[in-house]
Amino acid sequence: MNLDNLKNTWDKQDEASNASIEINQPLLFSIGVNQQMEKLRNMKIARIAESVFFFIIIVSLWQYIVSDFTFSAPTISAIILNIFAIIGFAGNIGQLVLMSELDFSAPVKDLQRNMYSVFSHKLQVTRLVLLSVPLYMAYTFLGFDVLFSVDLYQYLSEQMVIFYAISTAILFVIAAWVLSQITYKNITTPWVKKVIGYIVGEQLIDMAEFLNNAETA
Amino acid sequence: MNKTTEIEFSQLMNQHKGIIYKVVNSYCQHHNDRQDLAQEILTALWLSIDKYDSEYKFSTWMYRIALNIAISYYRKDSKRQDRPSINDEQLINIVDITTEEDRSEDIKQLYRFIGQLDKLNKAIMILYLESESYESIANSLGLSKTNVATRIGRIKVTLANQFQD
Repeated sequence: MNLDNLKNTWDKQDEASNASIEINQPLLFSIGVNQQMEKLRNMKIARIAESVFFFIIIVSLWQYIVSDFTFSAPTISAIILNIFAIIGFAGNIGQLVLMSELDFSAPVKDLQRNMYSVFSHKLQVTRLVLLSVPLYMAYTFLGFDVLFSVDLYQYLSEQMVIFYAISTAILFVIAAWVLSQITYKNITTPWVKKVIGYIVGEQLIDMAEFLNNAETA
Repeated sequence: MNKTTEIEFSQLMNQHKGIIYKVVNSYCQHHNDRQDLAQEILTALWLSIDKYDSEYKFSTWMYRIALNIAISYYRKDSKRQDRPSINDEQLINIVDITTEEDRSEDIKQLYRFIGQLDKLNKAIMILYLESESYESIANSLGLSKTNVATRIGRIKVTLANQFQD
């Protein structure tokens, strides 16, 4: 058997295929949403809630920054963390826009890529958190100032400052490398597959495998 | 949606509902999954009908939606087993291909072959069997023409090897 034989076989089934399906049209016309769309609607609600959360953080940090603006370690830390919060907020808005533009009649690879972006939200948030890890001292400086009104930086010895600077640089290199690896293009790498599966789940692995396959000739 | 849209949609479905049958039988192994997927495709078509541009072939638009839904839906399929349906009223009813006596063995064999392909190659194969040109397949799937041609070439080799054994 070859593809031409298969084509002939396929053509012969048209009438039978139509006859093998019955549609309950009155029930269909009363439906307002399906499973896929309901799932997306729930995700939209979650993204709106997260956007509000990020917005509150941004406003709070700005209030903290302008209340006593000096080039102190806690203020600079607040600015750094504010940048991360703004990235998170912008990412959420981007997700909402993307969800509202999803078109199921778009070319398959385009829609699947957009679906991957929507479903990989948890992965993106994890990437953002991971990216902030090298700047872990920002959390510490800000925390000490907010909770105890202490500028911890002033109490650090020169050696400690050097240690934190070096550890930040090393962590930054590690985080940048890890982040560059966690994409659907590397889904065939076992540890990347495990990480994506652990953070988001099997569904995203499946989407990643599809996209990776589609981009490989 | 108004009554005219409902009538037009009914007419289009009566003409093209075989597409749903072909897609669900290509993408799902279990009959209840085929029912669920068919329902998802049908509702997606109905809920998107306002966006259909009549300048384009309806079957092409319908295939795109059906394949997109099937590729997204199929993720759950491998872990599913046939189980009794809990819905009293079915939105769509598909005859189980395995119990269709008048369905030729060739057709069943064809679906078994398509069932072995990966999700992307399934879509390529379905559109190829629908006599779509390489360019049209490439446009529907968002791939390059060369990629489509390469994949069809590989499917041909797989097919030849399989039926040689």
